[in-house]
Amino acid sequence: MKFVAVREALILIALACLPAIGEGVHFRDKISWQSPIPASELVTVDQARAWGDGAIWLDARPDEEFARDHVPEAFSLNEDHWNELLPQFLPNWSPGKKVVVYCSAASCNAARDVAKRLRDEAQLKDVFVLQGGWEEWVKKSK
Amino acid sequence: MKTSILTLTLSIFLCVAARAELKWEQNVIDLHPALGDKTAVAHFKYQNTGTTPVHFKSVKASCGCTTTQSQKEVVNPGEKGEVVATFNIGDRTGEQMKTVTVQTDDPNPSQATTVLTLKATIAQAMEVKPAFVYWQSGEEPKPKKISVKAAKDFPAKNITVKSNSPNFESKVEPGRTSGEWTIEVMPKDTSHPMGTALVVQSDYPKDAPKSFSVNVQITNPPGAPPLPAVKAVTPAAIPSPSPATH
Repeated sequence: MKFVAVREALILIALACLPAIGEGVHFRDKISWQSPIPASELVTVDQARAWGDGAIWLDARPDEEFARDHVPEAFSLNEDHWNELLPQFLPNWSPGKKVVVYCSAASCNAARDVAKRLRDEAQLKDVFVLQGGWEEWVKKSK
Repeated sequence: MKTSILTLTLSIFLCVAARAELKWEQNVIDLHPALGDKTAVAHFKYQNTGTTPVHFKSVKASCGCTTTQSQKEVVNPGEKGEVVATFNIGDRTGEQMKTVTVQTDDPNPSQATTVLTLKATIAQAMEVKPAFVYWQSGEEPKPKKISVKAAKDFPAKNITVKSNSPNFESKVEPGRTSGEWTIEVMPKDTSHPMGTALVVQSDYPKDAPKSFSVNVQITNPPGAPPLPAVKAVTPAAIPSPSPATH
């Protein structure tokens, strides 16, 4: 009796898995494989503000959005004009300064990409991505 | 009992398989733009395999660097079309993944939203790493190394390094294999904060050699005012003969 119940349960579990496997195979291209940003590389608006002059803000959004509005004293550094913008930001950096990169919102990847390039190519340490991006900064500034 | 469970499961499975209306040929497109290309364009082709028209509600790219064009607003049964995604490469390098989210009026929520992915591998003629070297003010002026590696399809035989600041000296050493070099850069003194850009130029292509910049800096002590910005330089902007050319 017990064996039958276990067998029935296993059959039901296997059957329940079938549609899930089907969906997984069918939608394999729609799954986002990009891993989330590690918590140690993220910073909240409040934390970043608390760093005061010890932080440099970088705006990874396109030029037009930066021109419209940006965090006070932030530098523009996007990948559209990376080679031109990087030399404008670097003289303002010094060892020990924290770099806070932001893009439009929580869903954008530009800040993450810029932060990665700063770590890999310029070999800067203490580079953080602002949680929630510009949208969150605006919300917290109201 | 067993038969009814199986029938129910199969019915659900068949319903899942039969619900698709707007069928996409590919949800992921891999692109390999050539060196120097400004854009990478992906054509996501679709067909309405259902029995009712499908209306596009929105077609949105994940970043401002990608523009989209959906051609039509309504796709009638049997009709084919494409969503064109144009990715502006800018100064991006390496693997790039941009998504386009398509929303239709399909009553089935899982079919109403489709995420299309454009993967682009941006070839880099030469990899210069690190792109930034610095010494702290007052630090011993020891040489620092920068590695330069030409891409396989970029047959540069030699590189030169130029600087517009006499305070930085540099020399180029060929690497172990062809197409690889090491640049050694050293400041004459580190007593004053200053910065410049070294221009690394290849001897290929002969008529329009490629150049890349490396930012070098004597950094400020903490709390000091920032240095003046270093202008992105081109070899033409550097007076010749340069004191740091090798």
